[in-house]
Amino acid sequence: MASAKKQALQLARQLFKLSLVDGNVSAPQVAGVLEYIERHRPANTLAVLKCYQRLVAAEVARGQAVVEHAGPIGANLLASIAEGMTQKYRRNVTSVARRNDALLAGLRVRVGDDVYESSVSGQLASLAAAV
Amino acid sequence: MSTVLEQIEQQIAKLSSKAIKKNTGIIRTVADGVAKIEGLSEVMYNEMVQFSGGAIGIALNLEEDEVGCVVLGDISQLKEGDEVQTTGRLLSVPVGRALLGRAVDALGNPVDGKGPIAATESYPVEKIAPGIIVRKSVSQPLFTGIMAIDSMIPIGRGQRELIIGDRGTGKTTIAIDTIINQAKINKVGLASGDKNFRPVYSIYVAVGQKNSNIVRTMAALEAAGALEYSIIVAAPAADNPANQYLAPYSGAAMGEWFMENGMDALIVYDDLSKHAVAYRQISLILKRPSGREAYPGDVFYLHSRLLERSARLDGKGSLTALPIIETLAGDVSAYIPTNVISITDGQIFLETDLFNQGIRPAVSVGLSVSRVGSAAQIKATKQVGGKLKGELAQFRELAAFAQFGSDLDAKTKAQLERGARIVELFKQPAFSPVPIELQVAILFGMQKGVFDPIDVRKVVVAAQSMKDFFTTRKDPLLTEIRTKAALDKDLEAKLQTAMDEWKASFAG
Repeated sequence: MASAKKQALQLARQLFKLSLVDGNVSAPQVAGVLEYIERHRPANTLAVLKCYQRLVAAEVARGQAVVEHAGPIGANLLASIAEGMTQKYRRNVTSVARRNDALLAGLRVRVGDDVYESSVSGQLASLAAAV
Repeated sequence: MSTVLEQIEQQIAKLSSKAIKKNTGIIRTVADGVAKIEGLSEVMYNEMVQFSGGAIGIALNLEEDEVGCVVLGDISQLKEGDEVQTTGRLLSVPVGRALLGRAVDALGNPVDGKGPIAATESYPVEKIAPGIIVRKSVSQPLFTGIMAIDSMIPIGRGQRELIIGDRGTGKTTIAIDTIINQAKINKVGLASGDKNFRPVYSIYVAVGQKNSNIVRTMAALEAAGALEYSIIVAAPAADNPANQYLAPYSGAAMGEWFMENGMDALIVYDDLSKHAVAYRQISLILKRPSGREAYPGDVFYLHSRLLERSARLDGKGSLTALPIIETLAGDVSAYIPTNVISITDGQIFLETDLFNQGIRPAVSVGLSVSRVGSAAQIKATKQVGGKLKGELAQFRELAAFAQFGSDLDAKTKAQLERGARIVELFKQPAFSPVPIELQVAILFGMQKGVFDPIDVRKVVVAAQSMKDFFTTRKDPLLTEIRTKAALDKDLEAKLQTAMDEWKASFAG
């Protein structure tokens, strides 16, 4: 059981590497990989696909800055965040806006695993933790 | 003035608008006290992570696309998909004098119901052991108050002496006796006003024990007035394995504070067999490859990095360790016992047979050793007990041969008689350590043959009578032995006179 899972993960990793072009996920490559899986039906296909999806999603998240905001946000600000993150991570990072009223005010930017917290709710939470 | 205020306001504005960076992950699975987390790409080994419910964890397994964390605290609140974030800190526990007299858990939280602990400092639980340059050789004695140990297997400050034996052979009792003796010495030393006196503070780490046993130990320490100089770190059997794994390291951190601040401390790990079992449980859940007896490959490192933290530091204090190992059917060649024997500076081996024969403490003289040797003994003990170990070993050998026949020469008979009396003399009830000066007096009597005419069955009574005689009537002499720490001709003469006096009173 454990080795089947391991094999699925190994295959997913190999397929994931094939999906990258210049370090970024390429849509045509992903389509090619899916076609290959469809055609060859490897053992434990579902597990392979789940692992593959997780790896691709994590990689896509690394190239996208999700900007959560409570108030209005301008296109200029989104563009400057994308530019700043591109410089910081030395890779092409795009930005998308997502409204989140729970923040009260300010922004929260998520790029991959990293979260940049500059919201009122975040500050209140850290204040509560400190008290 | 207004410009100054503006400057401060600007500074506050700068700070409050600064974005805080966090590295996060998502819980994928939680089982048996271990969480598998996706993300946390910047987490470091042994780093503390924060779960969304307030629980904390330690990152132990850093894999390609997931992190294995042991969860400390309430695991029932955690669920798949919860966010976890790194803290950039190592797990720390409160340290300092404020912990004395208290019982805490593996994270340093009080568990004795005596309210919060006002500790101002904290030390990381995991710390690299002191290197060779800062260490000093072990040369100052740490008296256990147990005659058989102080005279034949002496322990020094900064030493690691293993207490090993089957269950129910008195391992914990030896450790508790030692803690009680430190408290007694501390009280006398601090009351004397001697500026050179260095008290020894004790830390008792209970791993995988029943809560009732821990309470009993606490009660014994309290009854003996030793709790005020002691800290109890409790990770009972009902605690999760992560806490049982951490407790010895937390205790070591608390002990290190005393050592680093120029004080002496004693730490008892009761016991490391259960600690290894807790670590094996965590490792198996983390799917680490298992080796001999299903222990992970780094089980030696688990104990070596812990025990190496005990040392005597140059210009600072010391941390003496008394790890305890429980054997099965006296098998000292099992995996964990051999590991810990090889790490420590000697072992006190307790035999079930001796215990059942009524020889308590059941110290096996042949298998017990202190690699520090007489360097950790005062001169007076060396003078009166230097040959004891050899005499006792010879007695055991002769006693085995004597079983085959009754025709023995006078010299052999005398050796057997003397040996039997030494064995009786070393019998000592639990929780009643004997001060070193009294030990010297009794061993002086043994050396001078004071017990030879007394029937073997009455030696214990005679020894008790001698103890009472010296403590009630010869206190100045005992004080002189304690302060001089060596027997000169004058002192020997005084001791001889006192012995004659006692003999007359005991015979009468």
